[in-house]
Amino acid sequence: MRIAVCAPQVPFERGGTEILVETLTEELRRRDHDVELVKIPFKWYPGPRPLREALVWRLLDLEEAQGRPIDLVVATKFPSYAVRHPNKVVWLVHQFRQAYDLDRTELAQFGEEPVDRATVRAIHELDRRMLGEAQRLFAISENVSRRLHDSAGLTAEVLRPPPQALDFRRPEEGGDFILSVGRLDRAKRIDLLLEGAALDNSLEVIVAGEGPDRGRLEQVTARHELDGRVRFVGKVADEELVDLYARCLAVFYAPIDEDLGLVPYEAFLAEKPVVTTTDAGGPLEVVVDGHNGIVCEPSPAAVASACARLAENPELARNWGRAGKQAAEGLTWDAVVERLLSP
Amino acid sequence: MKVAYFSPLPPERSGIADYSALLLPALRERVEVVVVPRGAKRAPRGTDVALYHVGNSPEAHAWIVDALQRQPGLVVLHDFVLHHLVAGMTLGRGDTDRYLDAMQRDAGVIGRLLAHGVVDHVLPPIWEERAQDFPLAWEVLQHAGGVICHSSYVEGLARAYGYEGPIRVIPMPAWPSVEAGDRLLPEGSTPTIVCCGHLNAAKRIPQLLAAFEAVRRPFPDALLVLAGSAAPSLRLETVGREEGVLRLEYQDEADLWRLLRDCDVSVSLRWPTMGETSGMVIRALSLGKPLVVSDAGWFQELPDSVAARVPVDEYEVATLAATLERLAGDEGLRRQMGAAAAEYARREHSLGRVADGYVAALEQVAGGEAVKDAILGDVARAAHEVGMSSGEPDLAEVGVRSREVGIGD
Repeated sequence: MRIAVCAPQVPFERGGTEILVETLTEELRRRDHDVELVKIPFKWYPGPRPLREALVWRLLDLEEAQGRPIDLVVATKFPSYAVRHPNKVVWLVHQFRQAYDLDRTELAQFGEEPVDRATVRAIHELDRRMLGEAQRLFAISENVSRRLHDSAGLTAEVLRPPPQALDFRRPEEGGDFILSVGRLDRAKRIDLLLEGAALDNSLEVIVAGEGPDRGRLEQVTARHELDGRVRFVGKVADEELVDLYARCLAVFYAPIDEDLGLVPYEAFLAEKPVVTTTDAGGPLEVVVDGHNGIVCEPSPAAVASACARLAENPELARNWGRAGKQAAEGLTWDAVVERLLSP
Repeated sequence: MKVAYFSPLPPERSGIADYSALLLPALRERVEVVVVPRGAKRAPRGTDVALYHVGNSPEAHAWIVDALQRQPGLVVLHDFVLHHLVAGMTLGRGDTDRYLDAMQRDAGVIGRLLAHGVVDHVLPPIWEERAQDFPLAWEVLQHAGGVICHSSYVEGLARAYGYEGPIRVIPMPAWPSVEAGDRLLPEGSTPTIVCCGHLNAAKRIPQLLAAFEAVRRPFPDALLVLAGSAAPSLRLETVGREEGVLRLEYQDEADLWRLLRDCDVSVSLRWPTMGETSGMVIRALSLGKPLVVSDAGWFQELPDSVAARVPVDEYEVATLAATLERLAGDEGLRRQMGAAAAEYARREHSLGRVADGYVAALEQVAGGEAVKDAILGDVARAAHEVGMSSGEPDLAEVGVRSREVGIGD
């Protein structure tokens, strides 16, 4: 089958979506499909720009290439699902959240000017049309599926992607730091962990990842004089990430209403428990409080208390990490590919 | 956002006036609203967008359409067939040419010839017999930056008619709660069937009377209440004398609610339809009353669980009689349909949801042109820079795709 996997690309950025679409492409190729990853640079600001980007996708002709038909397109996230194709399947990573749940929050992009409000409404309309015309509609999590249903009245089957295939090794005993993995932006709320560390002198933290919020997070660290206990290691290679997972006590992951979040799955494959919060969204579909991690209130004190509990009970942390592994191992690319390609 | 609000309002007697009285407080909780006084020529200064409620009555809506034609905005299309309105705004003002043009827009040369026939009094007025064949809606739609309608049925009509702007289907709001007071109808008549509103031939009153006569045979205690002003052509003045039929004139809002509350079944038949939604049906749904409706227009969008539909065909009277008899003899079914109706009204016709829909539509129209200008300006610049000129097929495709993503004209 000739398949085009479609995804926008914010130039010079690499995160969960990039890993997901690249892995999907590889996995399809491994199963003898002829696959092309179609990426278009994405800039989402200012004002109505997201709609222009959607038009760019709409203008593409992916029905054939060099005279041979393309059998299927798999679109992933806004605005790639504006692409036209008679056999369009959408595996929805997320809609343009600034037009939905992030609107009128501190993470908002759009203001109250008529042009901004109209852009938000036009994005809603666009989603209804472009997602509504898909032959099949999948979402990477319950959370994404629910948001789609609430906003556009469309139903998507939940199809969770497996985490990236790192060469996880056995967990080391005596891990004593809390690991944060992921892009450093405000929505990831790493400051909750840093503020928590300010409340508990015994808490040590390693923050892996890069992003626009790094400067602010370093200021938080300096303000609370955490320099000795919090380390920013930047973007790390896979081997180093595996090493960090193996050596940590637990993994902190608590974005605001995250779409899915593959970090908890990676943590579980490394047999580490996860600390998340009651408003984290996607992570709550896999992190079960008291079974494979702790789900606490989104406050520095609650995060500090959760981390302290794990530090005081290393055996409990080990058991919860092992329990998480079973959940993460259930996600396979065989299952994903079979459902994506089923007629 | 500041909205200029054009609508008939109470004490004017119209369904649209009642509708606005219900909607306005909920809308005011969400946006700033300036109600435009009747007869005003345009929206007040400083408003961001104008909202025009348009129905088929020239007395109630001509001034609103006059303002719309001066300043485009968001149109609430309460009726799709606007022939009566347009005739009033053209022939009624001595502007024959405009009526001829409107008819030609709808039906080409034949339409123009028919209009000449009407103007010269050699044909009967089209708005009395065949308005649905010549809706003349373009007189309004050509000025609409966006449209709100109350049913997918009307949305389909508008699209088939050639309107390409944004359309949002927003159901009629249900009344949240009504204090109806003492019982209005006599007790002991089972079933009590009510038909309320302006009574005319399109409400299928002759068919209802014929069907009720059949219902009276197995159910001699049955009562049919016909409440509302009546078209003279119906000759209802003799109806009250028939056994089992209670004829009431126009009822004010409070008594209307009492009537509906007291009944066992509410009947709302309609053919031909002008694309309107029935406020009476919405009231009956709110009160959890089983409904009998025509299988036509918006009524077709009501779920089977809340409404029994009667096809408009040669068996209409027999089907209607059988439907009423079934409901008369099955209290459990009436209860079941009533519960489903109340739940449906709560879910689909909540006032808050309706007001949210209005805000979405207003926002879309208020800034829509600025959004289009920003994006299409970029596209036009890029097209010019790569040497594309208007008329080229590739540029035409850009237009098509722009419309598909909702940013083209």
